[in-house]
Formats: sequence, structure tokens, C-alpha cells
Amino acid sequence: MDLRVGEEVPMEEDDEFTLSRNYFLAKEGSTSRKKSARKLSDIDLVDEQVLRMAVSAIKPKHEKEIESLLKSYKDLYSKWLFELRCGFGLLMYGFGSKKILLEDFASTTLTDYGVVVINGYLPSVNIKQVVITLAEVLSDQLKHKRKNSTGSKSRTQQPFSSQSIEDLLSFLNLQLPDDNDCFICVVIHNIDGPSLRDSESQQYLARIASCSLVRMVASVDHVNAPLLWDKKMVHTQFNWCWYHVPTFAPYKFEGSFFPLVLANCGNSQTTKTALVVLQSLTPNAQSVFKILAEYQLANEKEGMPINALYTKCRERFLVSNQVTLNSHLTEFKDHELVKVGRHADGQDCLHIPLPCEALGQLLQELG
Amino acid sequence: MSPSPISMPPSSPIADDTTDDNALQPFFVLHKALPQKCDRKAAGSTRTRRKIDLPPSSPKSPEKSDAVASSVGPNDANYERLRLEAFDMTWSKIDTTIKEVLTRVHRNLFAEVHQWALESFLALKSGKPRNAFEIQTPYPLLDDVICKQIPTAMILTKNAEFVDDMLTFQELGEHLKSKGCHIANLSAMDFCAKDGIAGCLRSLLRQLVMDAPDMADMSVLSSWYCEPENYDHPVIIVIDDMERCSGAILADFIRLLSEWVIKLPVIFIMGVATTDTAKKLLPSDALQHLQSSKFTLGSPLERMNALVEAVLVKPSFGFNIGHNVAVFMRNYFLGHDGTITSFVRALKLACVKHFSMEPLSFLGIDILDENQVFLHGKCDALPDSLLKYAFNLPSCKRGKDCKNSRDDLGEGLSDLRKLLKAWSSVILCLYEVGKHNKIQLLDIFCEATDPTLSSLDPSNHKLERSFNGQNLAEGRLDFKGGLIGQLIHTVRELPLSSLIKLLDSWSIHTEELCEVHGEVRELQSVVKSSNGGNNLKDRQIDCHRMSMSLCAGRTSLSVNGKAAALLDNMVRKFLMPIECLCFHEIICFRNVDILQSALIGNPRRNIQVDLMKSTTYIKCSCCSGNENVLSPTMHDTSVMYNLAQEHGDLVNLQDWYHSFKSTVLGTNKLKCPLQHSPMSKKVKSSPSESEASIQARFCRAVIELQIAGLFRMPSKKRPDFVQRVAFGL
Repeated sequence: MDLRVGEEVPMEEDDEFTLSRNYFLAKEGSTSRKKSARKLSDIDLVDEQVLRMAVSAIKPKHEKEIESLLKSYKDLYSKWLFELRCGFGLLMYGFGSKKILLEDFASTTLTDYGVVVINGYLPSVNIKQVVITLAEVLSDQLKHKRKNSTGSKSRTQQPFSSQSIEDLLSFLNLQLPDDNDCFICVVIHNIDGPSLRDSESQQYLARIASCSLVRMVASVDHVNAPLLWDKKMVHTQFNWCWYHVPTFAPYKFEGSFFPLVLANCGNSQTTKTALVVLQSLTPNAQSVFKILAEYQLANEKEGMPINALYTKCRERFLVSNQVTLNSHLTEFKDHELVKVGRHADGQDCLHIPLPCEALGQLLQELG
Repeated sequence: MSPSPISMPPSSPIADDTTDDNALQPFFVLHKALPQKCDRKAAGSTRTRRKIDLPPSSPKSPEKSDAVASSVGPNDANYERLRLEAFDMTWSKIDTTIKEVLTRVHRNLFAEVHQWALESFLALKSGKPRNAFEIQTPYPLLDDVICKQIPTAMILTKNAEFVDDMLTFQELGEHLKSKGCHIANLSAMDFCAKDGIAGCLRSLLRQLVMDAPDMADMSVLSSWYCEPENYDHPVIIVIDDMERCSGAILADFIRLLSEWVIKLPVIFIMGVATTDTAKKLLPSDALQHLQSSKFTLGSPLERMNALVEAVLVKPSFGFNIGHNVAVFMRNYFLGHDGTITSFVRALKLACVKHFSMEPLSFLGIDILDENQVFLHGKCDALPDSLLKYAFNLPSCKRGKDCKNSRDDLGEGLSDLRKLLKAWSSVILCLYEVGKHNKIQLLDIFCEATDPTLSSLDPSNHKLERSFNGQNLAEGRLDFKGGLIGQLIHTVRELPLSSLIKLLDSWSIHTEELCEVHGEVRELQSVVKSSNGGNNLKDRQIDCHRMSMSLCAGRTSLSVNGKAAALLDNMVRKFLMPIECLCFHEIICFRNVDILQSALIGNPRRNIQVDLMKSTTYIKCSCCSGNENVLSPTMHDTSVMYNLAQEHGDLVNLQDWYHSFKSTVLGTNKLKCPLQHSPMSKKVKSSPSESEASIQARFCRAVIELQIAGLFRMPSKKRPDFVQRVAFGL
């Protein structure tokens, strides 16, 4: 088949040209125009605490208009339900938090179906736990239905929490005869969020979405979100029906895990976030971090060599081998609690990217 | 009949009633299904319906009809349920047809593979151990490499995309299963380095052995194979996409199975894109355990033609697509990824959108039924509001005058059915010609649905223009009218042998089109008599120039000319695009924009447009006005994004902050902040807006832009800059 016709093809090409032209213009702009050398510290920055207070006290703009914009989407609810019933998943995008919109849709329109909400914007979500909950909700729904239609038909089975994820998925994928209106819904805020961005999570979500008794309603905020999925996921598993629904609602919860760019002169790590991360780690990992912090407070200039840390940790029976220590360190590095640098004599050193006072405070709060 | 929740007035205003607790839980149960709903659903689903039940609101009960007419809108829940059921019926028919078509396309290959599998199995069996005990003992190990070879069918997919092939391999599996083989479908997911060989082994056991213990052990498999019902059948392992498997794990798997192959007759079927895939992926010691044979799948275009014929051209589903949608879907197929899967998905989405948007779409399933009783019954039961709606459809308005009665609707729909059947016969006839030119059915379909090509309009001479024009001489085709014109021209050029075959196929396609069928038969007899005893195979007869005096009293025209004239006549008379027919809206989906936006979300573009033109969504009185001036009352993030457009790929945070500050304080009236050198300008804070608050708003806007993925945050190297990620829409 030849590519003669195309109302679109030339248009797309045009788009591509504009895109590349803009890119080079922007690049050129930044080099030809003398790069501004102004420092962030030149701004009269307010104290971080004050800034945080001010962020939580920002006066919302256009509250009424945003609410009526959200209300205007209510007309689409019946269409959305129709598409879910037809086996499609819904994917909402557009600027503004869609948390309220999705939950309102779920609680007013999806009343016939069990609904489980996943907050993908949080730093970590355990997919296995989600699947267990889905299976429980579905099992409730089926039990109730069975009771009403064909009488009690109880089956003894092991509890969902002890089943493998494969078994749970095949339970969600049961083929019910003569009823295709029985399913549960999974609402995912930010399916492109930090905790779900990895390919393994996406693979599991795709498998959940492809189960016959599950429908998915999700939102994305990142402009590159479609890159998360391959052809198989898009065409045969998620089966998205896209909706552009900008809400302009503030990203109240979604944004709460991002650092403030003007706090700490752009230093991304703060005592508070470090504390939150550390508290979620094991006591041993915390102790390893403490050794490192104490060393850094004592020797301000240089980082701690890995060997020295290992010896110290062994002395205190915190780790028994290098592998365990490395796993702790990987965790620290992933959360940007620790940076690796090169010492003057060539060996790798560990450094916590926090100023001394902050570090002291952190140690205090960590107890 | 359960009232759908959406029929309830949306009284609750949208409010943030989520507790903060829930928002910080990784996940939570929002609610469980309402029990009373389940009851009604269960009761409703026990009723069996061959035909869709009509809602109780029949106009024949006069005391009700008025009230009903006023309340039954196109969105009424009862009708919505009808449309949903109609969709289910329609799509399940289409889906079954698609599956049948694809299986038909692959039938030969499947048979070949089955034959090969049987032969390989026999070859394996010739050296197999005699009793169950020997099968279950892992030792002694075999030393001879030849004995340890696993027969492997390498199926060349000829396709860079693997989605289509997944379905093919699944079907192949099902086909072989129906012939008595044991089948396990493994995917690349099972061969990932993380799970190691245990992962694929476990998956294999899960599929073959019922109640398999969750452990990877070959002895489980061998004892399963020794059970009488499993014994003496080949175990076929299908791996749909070999390229995506982890080479090391696959190699381990092959080595492991090769140790068992004499005892457990394992046969591989692997999908590969090129012939050297296996060489690239596997180390030589694993490769030598494979005894490979090659097979080739049909091309996507081949499948596409069969699919278009069965689903789009033959009017048997009560759902069709208009010209714009057809062109869009063709471009989507060609330009997007060339997979049948994506095409079918687009078709399904079009179908869903049609049934969700078109109030009368539920009539579609009955329109094409031979027995029109149901259709007329349904039309009789329509409430006045829907009847009025039907006669207000644009196609009906431009059509003939009707009395707008229920009978007229029924008649109109019956006519639609007849016209569609004739239309589809003509397209199939055209396609028979197209096969000689390697013209694809989808291209013909696209042209034949073009409403500007209405053949009923006598002033329309596009066809002639196109094949007299220069385009044809140059071998180039003009889309509008070009293809069909070229096809008619092709008929004139056909050699006699092909013409005979063509006429045979025409006579099949026009069976229900009496007047044309007669002419085709006549032509057939003329050709046969003129051909006489000539042996076509020996002599290539190019007879288009051979002028033949036909039956007495007729003009002397070549048979080719006659056939071309017949085709031309058919096109003019019957190839009436669906969009020119009365009531076509009921079965024809035309809204290409809706389909496109639902199918291909474009977050990169649209999120930027949202930010650049926030005032089009937030319809407030304060911010509208001159688009080039950023108003201080505008959405903060929108202001920030507009300001960032003035920078290069790096945005200096301090510059950005100052221009933001001056904009929100209303001291900067111009959009171009850089030219005004914000540093030199002392911005005075108004007392109401403290510095902290502006900084807070700035920070929040940066976070929101970061969530949208439009900026990269300051790095250690560039602590004072953020980097733009998106350039242009």
C-alpha cells in the first residue's frame, strides 16, 4: 500500500520540522545570547521554614472557574462508564491535578463496582499488596452476586495474601459466563508517578489491566508518559481511551514530595525529607548512616572512605559482609542521602550532601 | 432494568472530600460494589435475549407516551443499556469474524507446522526409552549431541512489530492443541534474567501440569508426562518473540530440555524477525541443541486485505465507518506501526464511540438482518423524541420528503440495507480487478467511501477525468477518483485468461445484484464461446485489441471493453458512498476527531497548550483580554511557562523569578521580560504580597512544571539554571 494520501502525514512532518527548528533556536539562543550569570543566591531568599509555611498558605486563584471546569466534565461520566463497560481503560491527561476528578467520577458513577485507588505519586507502592486487595474486593463482589443468583457456592481456598501473584492474576482474569458487566475498577493517580515508573511495575499494571474482571482508570501528568509502554501494553493490555481533561487544580498531594527550588539554594536534599527516608529504613541501615554522619561531622572536609565505613560497621556488628553494606549504600544513593566522590589518594569516598547544622539536626531527630 | 447511576442528577458538587489520610496511603479501597445493584444485575443477566429487549416505554400505551416522549432523551438510561448490549453483540460478531479471517489466512502455515511437528515427534519417538521408570530418571545423561537436539520451528514473522504475531502464535498454539499436542505459550517475560531459569520452568509447569506445585522441577514434568492421558503426545513450547528473551536464560533452558528430549518429546516453535536471530542471541553450545526448520508468516498487508473484506466491506454487522475515519485508520495503519492489532483496536474504539454517541445506534444490529420483523418492531416502539431525532438527521433532511412516520423509518432503513449490499458487491468486484495491479482493498475502500464521489450525481465525471488525465500516464494516482478509474482501465488491458477468471469472481460477488448478475453471465458466455477450443495455457492471448463481433445486432466492442463498461456502469449505479445514504448516521461512524483524540493522546502538545492558553479553560473575567499580555491574575504556572518561552534551553532561575515577580505584581506589562532587564528594575513589593508568598508561588509553579516533565531541575554543575525539555508544540 503506498503512502500517497495523507491529510495528516504532511502535517505531522510539519510538526516535526517546527519541533527541531525550535530546539535549535533555543540552543542557539542560549549560546549566542550571553548566558545569564546571575546567581540564585542573589535573590533575597526567605528562610526555608517560612517558605514552607507560605507554600501551604498560597491563596488559590480562580477557585470558582476551576470548580466549574471540573463540573463540566461530569457530562462525560456516562460516556466514560460506557467505555469502561466496553472493555477500554481510561487515561486522563492535561494540566492540573486530576485526583479530585477521578475520585468524584469513581464515587458517583462507579457505584456498581468495587473501586481501589492507587496513589502513584507516592514514593513507593507495593504492587503485590494492591493485587491482594483487588482479589479480596473482587471475591466479595462475586460472593455477593453468587449468593443472589445461584445460591451459596462456597469454595475453600487459601487466603489471598498467601497466594502467588500469578494465581491472584488468574483469579482476576476469571471468565464469567453470560455476564460481562461484573468487574472491579482500579483508579491510579499518576500511573507515571515515581513509584510506578519502573518497567517491572508497569508490566504488572499492564497485566492487571488486561484481566477480564478489572478495568483501569488512570491519570498521567508527564509529557513523556506514553514512553512508559510498549506496543503490546498499549494495544492489548491497557487498551487506553485517552481523554484530555485539563483541570488546573493545584497538585496538592502530587507535589508534596518535590523539593522547593528556592529552599536551601536549590539544594535538593533537606533534613526533613532525609529524615522521612531514613525512618523508613531498617534500624541497621539507620545506624550505618549514623556512622557516616558522625564521621562527616568530625572530618568536615573529606568524605569517608568505603573501607573505613565497612570496618566501623563490622566492629559494631551492623553488617557482616561487604554485600550487605553495599545494599545499604545503594539505598542511600538512590534516595540521594549519600554521594560518592573520589578522594585525593584515589579511593572512593562517601559524602552526605547536607550542611553540618542540618546533619547535626538530623542525627538528633533520628535519635 | 436497572437505572444507571449516571441517570441520577449529579447533585453533589465536586469537592475535595478525600481525607489526607487516604491521599497518603499507597492505595486504598474507595468503596465496594453496592449490594442492591448486584442483585438487580444478577437478576437482569439471567434473562436470555436473542434480540434486544425493548424498553417498556412503548408509545402504544397512550397514557404514558407523552410523558415518556418528554423524558426519553437520547441519553436515557434504558436506551443506553440497549446501545451497550447492541455494542456487545456487534463487537462480538466482528471479533469472531476477525479471528476467523486471521485463522483462515494462516491455515496453510498452521497445517505445515502441524505436519512438521508430527514428523519431528515420530523422529524423536524412534529413540525414546521404553518405560516410565526410564523417563523419570534423570540419569544417565546423554552424551551424543545429535541425540540431544530439539526440533525447532523458526517462524519468520517478517514484521518488526511483534504484537500481531502474539495473536498468531496463540492461535497456532490453539490449533496444535486441537490436534492433540500439549502446548505451552511462553513469552519473553518468562525469560528474564531476574527470575532465572526457574521463572520459565515454573511458567511451563503452570501451563502444562494442573495444580502444579510452585517450584521449578523437571521431575514434576516428567511424571506428568507419564500419566496415561498425557503420554505419547508431543510437548510443544511456543515462544512468540525470541528476540526479546534473555539469551542466557533461554540458552540454559534449551540445555536443560535437551538433556530430557529423548524422554520427554519437546518441540520448540519460536517467532523470529530474521534468520540470524538465533545465532545472535544464543551461544553456540545451546545453538547446537536446536535442530531448526524455517517457516514464514504472511505479510500484514495480506491479512489486512482479508480483514477489510470481511469486516468493513461486507455489510453484516450494522456498524460501518465513514470516509474520513477510513482514511484516518488507513494512515494510522501505514504510518503508525503497520500492525493489525492497532488497526483492530482503532476499529473497536470507533465502534464504542459510535454506540456511545449515536442515540439510534442500537437499531444497527437489526438493519442488516434478512428478517426485517425485528427492525420494524423496534421502529414501532421508538418514542416520539427518538423518531423526531431520526428524521432530523442531516442525511434524512437532505433526502426525499417523508411523512416522518415510523413506517418511513423502517422503510428507509431497509433501503439502506439494500444499497449497502449493492455497494459492497461492487467494491468486491473492483478488488478482484485490483488484485491484478496489487492494489490494496483498503485503498479502494477509502476511495469508495468518499462522499464527493457520489456516482448518482450525473454531473460527476471525476472517474473519466482521472483516467484521461496525465496522472495515469505517469503512473501516479490521484486519490480522488483515481484508483477506481484506473481499475476500470485495467479491465480493458487484461489478458483473456485473467478476464475469464475475473468474470467468474464477479458472478459470485454479484449474485444478489440481479440486473448486474445477468449481464455478467452474458459476458461470461460470450467470452467462453469466443474462446472456443483455444488452449490458453499454450498461447498467451492478448485479446484486448482483438475486436470481436459479438452477437448479432450488437456493437463491435472488445470483450474487455464490455467488461470495463459493465464495471463502469456498476460503479456509477451502485457505488454510492455510505455517507450519501439516508439514515446512514445510525450505522456509520464519521467523527474522526473524536476517534483520533481517544486513540492517540498527545500529552506533549496538549499539556503545553493548556499552559500557554490557560484562559481558554479558566473562563474568568479577570484574565481575558489581550493574549500577548500576561495578566497578574493568570494561573501562576501558566505565567511561568509563558515567561520561560523567552529563554533558551537553559532558564536562569533568578531571571525567571524576577520576571515572574514583576508579572504577578503587575509591574511588567510586556511579555518579553528579558529585554527589560529585570535586574535593573527595582520591583517594589506591594504590602499585600509578601516576598515569601511570591517565592512560595514561584516554587510551587516550578514543582508543577516539573511534574509535567517540562523542566529539568538545577544540577550540581548548573545550580542556577533549570533546563527546558520541550521545544515547541
